[in-house]
Amino acid sequence: MGGEPTDKVLEAIRKVVETVEVAEVLTTPFNESIENLLDLSSKSIKAEGASVLIPEGEEGDLVFKWACGSVSDSLIGVKIPSGKGIAGFVYTTGQPMAVSDAERETNFYSEVDRNTGFSTHTILATPLQFDGDVIGVLEYVNRDGDPPFEPFTPEEMDLAALYADAVASLVRAYKSADVLGEFSRRILESADGEGSQDVEAFFAGLEASAEHKDRIRLAELVRRASSLGEKERALCEEILGSFVRYRDGGGA
Amino acid sequence: MEIANVAKTAEGAPETGVPGGIDESWKECTGRGVSIAIVDSGIELTHTDLRGKIRSSSEAVKEGKRIIFRESESGDAAGHGTACAGVVMGIAPDAEIHSIKVLGSAGIGDGDSFLAGLEFAINRGHRIINLSLGTTKAQYAAPLRDLLDRAYLAGCIVVSAANNLPQPSFPSVFSSSLIAVSKDVEKDPFEFGFRFGEVIEMTAPGVNVRTTWTGNSYKTVTGNSFACPHISAVLALLLEKYPEMTPFQAKSALFTIAKSRSAE
Repeated sequence: MGGEPTDKVLEAIRKVVETVEVAEVLTTPFNESIENLLDLSSKSIKAEGASVLIPEGEEGDLVFKWACGSVSDSLIGVKIPSGKGIAGFVYTTGQPMAVSDAERETNFYSEVDRNTGFSTHTILATPLQFDGDVIGVLEYVNRDGDPPFEPFTPEEMDLAALYADAVASLVRAYKSADVLGEFSRRILESADGEGSQDVEAFFAGLEASAEHKDRIRLAELVRRASSLGEKERALCEEILGSFVRYRDGGGA
Repeated sequence: MEIANVAKTAEGAPETGVPGGIDESWKECTGRGVSIAIVDSGIELTHTDLRGKIRSSSEAVKEGKRIIFRESESGDAAGHGTACAGVVMGIAPDAEIHSIKVLGSAGIGDGDSFLAGLEFAINRGHRIINLSLGTTKAQYAAPLRDLLDRAYLAGCIVVSAANNLPQPSFPSVFSSSLIAVSKDVEKDPFEFGFRFGEVIEMTAPGVNVRTTWTGNSYKTVTGNSFACPHISAVLALLLEKYPEMTPFQAKSALFTIAKSRSAE
């Protein structure tokens, strides 16, 4: 995209951002609930970390959508090809399973571990089922402390199934709430004309920039501060405005 | 085979319900001549413990809207089928294992391929069909029931893994024509349990089972799906000894053996 965006493009960007904001407001409670439940359940099952994988795309690949534990940030977004690995098996069959010695896993987990710097030793994977459909996989990995880790027990497996039931309901609710976000993404994908390409290029440029994550963090801070109340929003605006004016005025 | 042959016809042991107790000689068998189809994620044919022991390897492939089966050398996508084969080999080392891969190939892995794999195994006339899989989708319940009826009439004994989830899993909840298994902490493969009157009738070792895995490796695994091949392998021993055993008799024999042991 060359030069400044046109008014038409800016209007399209504004609409997309508004839609995404509404989707964000709707999905945030579910995101937080799932994260809290992962945290709580991993403590209860005595696992070092927990994650939820859900299908993405038409090929049925699984992607780590939520996670807790030491490498949760680098795990989120990592994909497992359809039907591969333990999670892929659990997803396609609906059969829970636990595996010890996973550090010697020759296929998928070694790749995930290389990407995240994590060392997977034991895994407990349970399907997330809703209305008879498998909608994802709940995974617990390792134990607190140092290896060798005790294998997950049958009792912990049954407990994980109970947590999976609750997580599945939340994931389903999250997906319903995310319909708006999906809607905006589809509008972007299906809209024709140069305007949609420019909007896409605008977001692609944002995502490609080195400071993208910093901006997202800043935006999240502003969003959280703004949600505290009218006075807090005004204060936030005043502080940020003062800072920008100070910098514009040549302040160090 | 008459079921009375499993039980000795000598006197005694009335508390087991079996006069004379149980004929234990079947435990010396190795599964020779008994075919077991493992409908799963495929089997690693080159694994040291399995090399040369897998009699055939087929995989589901989509051809338009149809699912067909072709010879496969693609191995195991997930490790699970290899693990099941390892469990069987540990108990019935001379059983004829046939791998039917319905998971892990591109575009394959849904309920349709699962059903197609079961049908393929029945058409091939495998005496034992190990299904460490299941589906909770209600639309597959009726076609699965039809297939199990066909298996029953064809003399194929279907062994299916239960799940430990609140939702019923098919076909494990069907009570008439297959043997459903859930995990137990026992280590001895002959220490299986029979829970008459419950939906999932059998228990077998399925906790911390050391078995073969992909990459010519071994893993310690837990799950109902590893209890399932224990029963498949035990059945292979019984079928070597009593080749004419029907699915109905197989279930009765397992019940009798488990009951006699619990009475000891």
